[in-house]
Amino acid sequence: MTEPTRWLPEPDDSNRPFFDGARAGVLKLQRCDDCGGWMFPVRRRCQHCGSTALQWANASGRGTVYAHGQLQREYHVRHRGALPVIMAQVDLAEGVRMNTNLVGVSPADVHVGMVVSVDFEHSESGEAIAVFRPAGTPS
Amino acid sequence: MLAAEGTGEDAMTHPMNGAAAICGLGITAMGRVYRDAEDLAAEAVYLALEDAGLPKSELDGLLINAGVTNGVSIPLHITLGLRELNVLTFMQGYGSSAGQMIQYAAMAVANGLANYICCVFADDPLKEGVRTGDAYAGGARRNAMSGLYPVYGFMGALPMYALGARRHMDLYGTTQDQLGAVAIGQRRWAAMNPRATKREPLDLAGYHASPWVVEPFHILDCCLVSNGGVAVIVTTPERARDLRQPAVYVRGFAQAHQHDAGLAGTDALVHTPAAKAGPRALAMAGVSRNDVTQCQIYDCYTYTVIATLEDYGFCAKGEGGPFVADGKLAPGGALPTNTGGGELSSFYMWGMTPITEAVIQGRGHGGERQQSNDVILVSGNGGVLNYHSTLVLSPHAA
Repeated sequence: MTEPTRWLPEPDDSNRPFFDGARAGVLKLQRCDDCGGWMFPVRRRCQHCGSTALQWANASGRGTVYAHGQLQREYHVRHRGALPVIMAQVDLAEGVRMNTNLVGVSPADVHVGMVVSVDFEHSESGEAIAVFRPAGTPS
Repeated sequence: MLAAEGTGEDAMTHPMNGAAAICGLGITAMGRVYRDAEDLAAEAVYLALEDAGLPKSELDGLLINAGVTNGVSIPLHITLGLRELNVLTFMQGYGSSAGQMIQYAAMAVANGLANYICCVFADDPLKEGVRTGDAYAGGARRNAMSGLYPVYGFMGALPMYALGARRHMDLYGTTQDQLGAVAIGQRRWAAMNPRATKREPLDLAGYHASPWVVEPFHILDCCLVSNGGVAVIVTTPERARDLRQPAVYVRGFAQAHQHDAGLAGTDALVHTPAAKAGPRALAMAGVSRNDVTQCQIYDCYTYTVIATLEDYGFCAKGEGGPFVADGKLAPGGALPTNTGGGELSSFYMWGMTPITEAVIQGRGHGGERQQSNDVILVSGNGGVLNYHSTLVLSPHAA
């Protein structure tokens, strides 16, 4: 029996809340205690006000598609047999732009401005990553 | 006459308009040249000196920019045996660097910091036995968070440009054929450029048959990957006129930079900093967009050309697809663009690709591809439409 291939390096202290959240089905992002601004990926200092008082908080998981395209070449074990992968930048309600993938939608039906909500995809080795699907569709 | 010379003849002339000129150009062999970047950079400098007819002892400034392999830096001056210099630094603004180097060199020579400054770029991403596409896909050490990029397919800059192109298509109805028109037109130019890597004819069927990478990009929407080196020597107009080659004057320049910083709400994949830098550079040169006789546009992807021409104001935002579709940029078209074949078909030396062709055209050395060269608009672009430099070059003094 071979171990299933990991998708990602092991999380570390800087990003573990994000991945723990994903495994529990919650999108966690950093929020600034001082100004309330959100950011992604991991920052040590608030991009908005410069504060270092950043905490992980639950995000809404709601957003709209800013841009999208279709990956047609395998660059990662997760892409095997999965092409085309729908790549997207999603603008979250919290004001953060996330690079991600869209699921549960045919490439031809994706469009700029599409309203999406977060979902989570699990690897055989127990990791979870955030993906997005059209709002209101079941996972 | 130059306002900088204190003639007072034209009080409206910008003091930097024509205050510097390009007097030397060195281009090494391009493509699968398996030599390291520093050696390619050194050869480019010697080629530029020879081209200019300038003894090495006269060179007193060196600006250095490394490509994706980061293979050349300050020690280049030691390799070159340049023991005393008045200007020396390493610069990095990604694809905007080459244009930036010309700008800083122009300001330096115009203000007496140095007499002859060589701006040099070299890169060696191609290794024997390694697939071309892998050269730029990136093999960075990753943690779990940055490891998400390959998991989602975001390898290098290519996917982001593809997403930008697709957004442009969604918003404005830009078509795949219109992207293809850029690649096809530039291939026609490349056929007339002995230095171009890809010179075989390309038609729309051939473009569509090219494999997808990230839709809407076929491989033929993407620039080449090249090993090579380019050097450009900048001096004062008076010194340039005493040298071997026709002077190409630096008439105007500007930079503008932007990034969404990972935050929502901007439209940085469609609206580029060219919109700010272009008008500023033309104003410095004392010309209008209608005076531009040819463009050398940074073309890492077909879409970059469309977005940049829109932002320079040659057509309205969103109309770039129809604007290029009629062959306007190709041989015989009304706005000759990337007349050496560009990064798509000639060679990819970051921002030096458009500059090399601008200098060749500015000297009138374009041979069968020579176009009217009165006002040459040159763009540099780095990151994902983040970092921008514009140059206005001309064979005519200010």
